Amino acid sequence: MQSGALTRERDVREAYAAHSGELYGFALRSLGDSGLAEEAVQETFVRAWRAGERFDPEIGSLRTWLFAILRNVVIDLGRARAARPGVAEGGIEPSVEPLEQALLSWQVEEAMRRLGEDHRRVLVETQFRGRPYAEVAAELGVPEGTVKSRVYYGLRALRVVLEEMGYED
Amino acid sequence: MKTEGCRDWRHLLGAYALGDLSAEERAGLEAHLEGCPECRAEAKSLDTVARLLPLADPDRFSRPAPQPSSDLGKEIAATIGRERRVVQRRRRWRFGLALSGAAAAAAVVLAIVVLPSAGGAPEQHVDFGRLPDGIKIYATLEPHAYGTEIHMYVKGVRSGTLCHVYLRGPRGERVAAGTFTYRWGDDSTAVLSSALDLSRTRAIGVRAGNRTFVATVDAAGATARAISNQEDFT
Repeated sequence: MQSGALTRERDVREAYAAHSGELYGFALRSLGDSGLAEEAVQETFVRAWRAGERFDPEIGSLRTWLFAILRNVVIDLGRARAARPGVAEGGIEPSVEPLEQALLSWQVEEAMRRLGEDHRRVLVETQFRGRPYAEVAAELGVPEGTVKSRVYYGLRALRVVLEEMGYED
Repeated sequence: MKTEGCRDWRHLLGAYALGDLSAEERAGLEAHLEGCPECRAEAKSLDTVARLLPLADPDRFSRPAPQPSSDLGKEIAATIGRERRVVQRRRRWRFGLALSGAAAAAAVVLAIVVLPSAGGAPEQHVDFGRLPDGIKIYATLEPHAYGTEIHMYVKGVRSGTLCHVYLRGPRGERVAAGTFTYRWGDDSTAVLSSALDLSRTRAIGVRAGNRTFVATVDAAGATARAISNQEDFT
């Protein structure tokens, strides 16, 4: 991609290939409607292209910039939807959390998806299902120490993925 | 300082951050942390992740990541392609107007500048001249097998105004080109189409609310030509 600009259609295609899935995931998480979420992603790329000259990779990554645009688009669409009740009926429940909270929750969920199966499994069993480590160890046929070890490496992996996704403590 | 003992304690740091160690294990680990800044730093960074974990909803992350429809990328590319072409046309058209600026100013009417498009097909750039203060209307007409594609840019009418666009043929017949709603602050161009062939188009009209603006179109001409803008009551 040309440095410092997102001005060519090819740049947009590359940016779409790299980031559309994540942007759509967050838009859907926030808006709760697949049609609106696609509209949000489309509007995000069109706005990004219009403002392409202003994109400066030295200030932040393309991903961060696109998410900043999407955030504004989601706010705009959320307002428009508030004025037109009933659009999301029958769809997935839209997020009722404040947008920053929704973004953080979505990031953690996306990071959990990207963990290896072993790590995700022990975190799900011990943290989300509240099962004792010994019970999980017996079910998996491994020593309890191994479960603790996997929990440790799972959290570390989660930290790395979150950092890759731009999470800053 | 990192010691051999770290290896024995490190694997407990996850369960420690999550508050899952027995009192005995915790006491042993905390005694180690006291004398080991590296393990303390590691424990602190895991503590942040452990606090974020409850934000996730396992029902959501257990499902595969949702994906947009496979056509979305193409739709976005098409939208951007259309917008780019319109911007290029507008730039060329403004350049054309600047060249003929003196003559246009003297005539104080409307200029049509016909410039060849990239593909060689003649497209027409229409300026609705002498409009009320603050109103701007530009249109570009492009010939197609199905009729005429119209890119219309309107500015200055009341936000929310419904605009009907139509073309007029040689016998004065009106062929609809569709509608759009003008929104304040929207700098985009409405893309419309009409079944009337560009070669047979004699005028383009836009009814914005209760006002109608018309510009005549010289489909055969390839040079700039001054024409008037008028209210259209027919």
